[in-house]
Amino acid sequence: MKIRQQYILTIISFFLLFGCTKDEVEGPLINDIYGDFYINQPFLVINKTPDFSIDELVKFQCEFNKNINWKISITGMATGSHKIISGFSNSLDSNVSIWNGNTSQYPFFKKEYCSIELTFLDEPDTLRDTIEIMGSKLYNDGFIIADFENGLPLESILYINPNNFVNDTFVLASDLPLLGNNYFKARGRVNWEWNIGKLDFKLDYNSTISAENLYINIGVLSDTVNLHTGQFINILISESDLPYNDDLSNNGADIFETSMEVYKMKIPVDWNGWQILSFRYSDFEELLPNALGVTFNKNPNNISGMRIAFQSCPSSGPDENCPENFDKPIRIDLDHVVLTENKSLLNQ
Amino acid sequence: MNRLNSIAVTIFLFFCQSLSFGQQDEKIWFSGLARSYFARDVNLLKNDTISSNNYTSGYNLIDLNTHINPLEDIEVFAQLRIRNEFGSFFGSGTQIDVRQLTVKGVLGNKVKFSIGDLFLKQNKFTLYNNEEELYFFSDGFASSYRDVIHYENFYLENRWRLQGLQTNFSYEFDRFVETLEFDFFVTRPRGSYTLGFNTTQSDMVLSGVSMISKISKKIIFESNYINLFEIPSTGNINISVRNPVIQGGLTYVNISSKAISKHHIQSGFSKRSWLQLDSLTNKKIGMFSELSSSYLKNDSSFSFSLVGRYVDPNFRSSGSQTRRINMSENNLNSIYTYYSNEQIQRAITAFDIVSDPTIYNQDISPTLMSFNPMYSNALPYGDATPNRAGIFSKFDFKTKNKFLELNFKNAYLNEVIGQGTKEKRNFLILSASTNFNLNRILNFKKHHNFSFSFINEITNRGGNSFEMVDLNSKHFDFSSNIEIVKDMFFQIGLKQVKSLGNEFLTKRGAYGEILTFNSVNYKQTDNLYSLGINYKFSSNVYINVQYNCWETKFNELETFDFKYQRLLFIFSVKL
Repeated sequence: MKIRQQYILTIISFFLLFGCTKDEVEGPLINDIYGDFYINQPFLVINKTPDFSIDELVKFQCEFNKNINWKISITGMATGSHKIISGFSNSLDSNVSIWNGNTSQYPFFKKEYCSIELTFLDEPDTLRDTIEIMGSKLYNDGFIIADFENGLPLESILYINPNNFVNDTFVLASDLPLLGNNYFKARGRVNWEWNIGKLDFKLDYNSTISAENLYINIGVLSDTVNLHTGQFINILISESDLPYNDDLSNNGADIFETSMEVYKMKIPVDWNGWQILSFRYSDFEELLPNALGVTFNKNPNNISGMRIAFQSCPSSGPDENCPENFDKPIRIDLDHVVLTENKSLLNQ
Repeated sequence: MNRLNSIAVTIFLFFCQSLSFGQQDEKIWFSGLARSYFARDVNLLKNDTISSNNYTSGYNLIDLNTHINPLEDIEVFAQLRIRNEFGSFFGSGTQIDVRQLTVKGVLGNKVKFSIGDLFLKQNKFTLYNNEEELYFFSDGFASSYRDVIHYENFYLENRWRLQGLQTNFSYEFDRFVETLEFDFFVTRPRGSYTLGFNTTQSDMVLSGVSMISKISKKIIFESNYINLFEIPSTGNINISVRNPVIQGGLTYVNISSKAISKHHIQSGFSKRSWLQLDSLTNKKIGMFSELSSSYLKNDSSFSFSLVGRYVDPNFRSSGSQTRRINMSENNLNSIYTYYSNEQIQRAITAFDIVSDPTIYNQDISPTLMSFNPMYSNALPYGDATPNRAGIFSKFDFKTKNKFLELNFKNAYLNEVIGQGTKEKRNFLILSASTNFNLNRILNFKKHHNFSFSFINEITNRGGNSFEMVDLNSKHFDFSSNIEIVKDMFFQIGLKQVKSLGNEFLTKRGAYGEILTFNSVNYKQTDNLYSLGINYKFSSNVYINVQYNCWETKFNELETFDFKYQRLLFIFSVKL
């Protein structure tokens, strides 16, 4: 091959090579970062009179010119309940952007009018609408351990510290329920001791769900007015297969000993009003990590009992930690103790 | 201090004694470098009353290279550095370090080996230490700075300095192929180190093999393989990088009585991923290919070359894409690091690139490092820059009496895929440099040299108003060396980098993925002026005294300009 032919062939190859470009994009779209924002299709609320008690849904639809952080805020005009739905996309898809009547935080929505606002991060645009709730969500999904509507659950064991001299406590009440008509009022005062009382439940939970996907939900009422500092609840969950309550002399169930497979979580209670707390079972710690002869291996299918212990912070005596609490009662009321799978109660 | 004094004096006496000894017995011989460096920097900013008006810095050092040949085929090499910071009392500010240590030899007169500090290079797509930005600024006054920077950072002929084991051997045949050469190496660019409480980063290992075969007098085949990886068992974070790259190429050489013409084709593949427990994540597989042709007249008076190159957006080669300067905010320069009354961090600009050895990097990076588009936008990672397809041409001309030298380099490149948009950037590089040796035509005995260089790098991207890129960077260099008395040169130089337009800076995550783009506007001008005297005792010994004035104008209200001057003295002796 002559030199001229060699160079001609090389130049042709260059142009073939140079044509190799692709119609792809690397990294986030610059349009999303720096592009002007505008709305392609208006904000549409589908089903403006939902009855959440029969599982109706509210759907949202909208289209924008770019991917953006958007937020739908739903506020109950009577209850003040608040629900936030947010995402990052260039549209609200009515198959994905839906609301089933749940709330992001207590109180729950009731039969009421709600205002709806769609806002966008770093953009001034706000789109508004209203709906009327015809029936509120029931929150009856999940395994209800205690809703206190018909008294304490069967085989539950209630222990009240005999030195707790506060009247009208550790009883069912109906003046301020979280859901339904009743709740469990657990208040008390023992200046020199931590333990005010405890409530044990016998459970027979059958499920193949993993510990990461099992949620323990519990409604707790506290009171910041004249708050008893340092008050908390201890939740114990037992996977022991020993008899629940053979020994009737120990003021409680027999399956929460340190020599058994028991998990714990300590929850400080220091807010005002009701809150629904949700915890993954996987976040519970071993009661006694190095307990002899105990293999800790969380399996929700083996859960045999739950204890909720109501604890104060002693204001006198050998355990005095909070002298400011002298003669102050604790206030830790309960409602709706529920196990849910894959989602917490509020996200159901 | 007394102890250090006595150590230094002993070493010096030993060195003096051994020099004479070395001449008598060739089993031990010495080489090295001695340097005195003094710089006085002056702050000319009116809006900076916090920084000192001026300060001096400098050092004296001697690098003593000891070559010991216990056997004919074995050499033990040790470089011992004694460095005394300027202004400190002798002893208290003295550092004594072992800077290099290597054993090399030949096994059975067939296999060469080296253990210790190695200087390694393969292909431009596998293992190659690309030049820094503004490399052509190294002419004139900047050459003294450049010598220091390259020496202090172990930059030797585009090689990376690594520590490990290397061996090579070759075969000659009388049929089918003429020669076959192999080279292997295993190095550890980084040892394991503690990241935090109970967290240890793994050892990083770089290994490679090269094979070159002369198939006939006209055809040469080469292949290179390199792998950068971490050994998970040496740490406990359970994340380890894997980056193997393989390259193969064929060269056809035609030598005639007038010229040498060469055609080269090469291609290769890379894979980079991170092993997290048992699964590979952030996997990128890419390739490159390159065609080149060159023509060189035998008397070197004329040459040209043409190159076509495609580098895939996913091509990742740590050994060839690691930059000498990381332009991230974490890389602090050493001259007036903070400036103005607001004490803001001073960005790395042209004078820092030319003069500051501390901003340079010696470590192989598994991810793409930051760059400043003002100084290099088309090829910030050298020839192996990913996401580029383009044509390059080079033309060199030299008169027979060497009065005039002309060099042109041009390139036109496109992105293969767009960044943040489907629109693709295109790059145009126009580069020319000339060198006039007036003494050659005016028959002066003394040297009279003038050189001009110019690079224009233009980047464009279309699309919407917020996607568009239009950046024009011009680099201009003038330098002159005039021999006023024998071996004494008067130096004058002017260097300017001017950038106008806009670009997007890419912010990458821990695995090299693009997180976001920051829009940046440029109206920046860097100016460097210099006057100096260079006295050359010999080609290896010189004294250089310079006055530098340098400034950066940002031409915007939000960023303060800065201006400094420097008096520099360098006395360099290569032993």
